[in-house]
Amino acid sequence: MLSIEYKFRPSLIAPSAVFPGHIVWRPVTNATLVASNGQTFRCSVLLDTGADHCAFPASFASLLGLDILRMKSCIIGGVGNLSSITYYDSLEVDLGDGIRFKSLMGFTDGLEKQGFGVLGHLGFFEYYDVHFSRKDLKFTIQTT
Amino acid sequence: MASATLDYSALLKDLPPGAWVAISEEKNAVIAYDAEIRSVVAKAKEHGEDLPLIVRVPSQPVCLIL
Repeated sequence: MLSIEYKFRPSLIAPSAVFPGHIVWRPVTNATLVASNGQTFRCSVLLDTGADHCAFPASFASLLGLDILRMKSCIIGGVGNLSSITYYDSLEVDLGDGIRFKSLMGFTDGLEKQGFGVLGHLGFFEYYDVHFSRKDLKFTIQTT
Repeated sequence: MASATLDYSALLKDLPPGAWVAISEEKNAVIAYDAEIRSVVAKAKEHGEDLPLIVRVPSQPVCLIL
C-alpha cells in the first residue's frame, strides 16, 4: 500500500473587511496530464471533496492536442455560475510517487480563471483514501 | 513517504494578475509568463523546458468556493 503525504499550499488573498491580510491553505499538488495521443501537460490540481467529477481549464485540452468539439459534453454547475459546458475525454493523471490513475476528465471554461484542475469523486476519490489534516496543513493519499 | 513542499507564492507575487506562468520545478524559478497560455508554453520550450509547470496568477486573489 502506498501512502504519500503532501503539504497544503498557501495562497495570499486580497485583504477584505471580513478577512484582512488573509492567507488561505489549499490541498493542492502538481500533476502531469497524459492524453490518449501521448501528449503531456503539467499543472496544479486541487483535491476537492465537494466536486462530483474531475475537471481542468478548457485551454489545457488544445495544449494536449485534443479537440473539445469531438468530445462528449454535459452541463456542470458551481458556485458563481449557473452552468457551464464541460467536455470529457479519458486522461491519465500522474501525481508522482506512484499515484497515477486514468479516468474521464472534463475541460471547462469555468476553470480558466483559476488555472488549475480539480480532482473530484468520479475519477479520483473513488480510487484513493485521502485524509486531510487542516490542523497540521497536511493531506495524505493512500492506495486502497 | 512525504512529498516536497510546493509553495510558489514568492515566485508569483510580482507577476501581473491573470498571467499564465511557466515554472521550472527543477530550478524553482519562473521561466516565462504571458497573458496567453499557448505563448507561455512556447516561451518555456524555447528556454529548454519541455514540460514546465503551468499555473495562473489570480486576477483577483479571492477566497474560492468552487
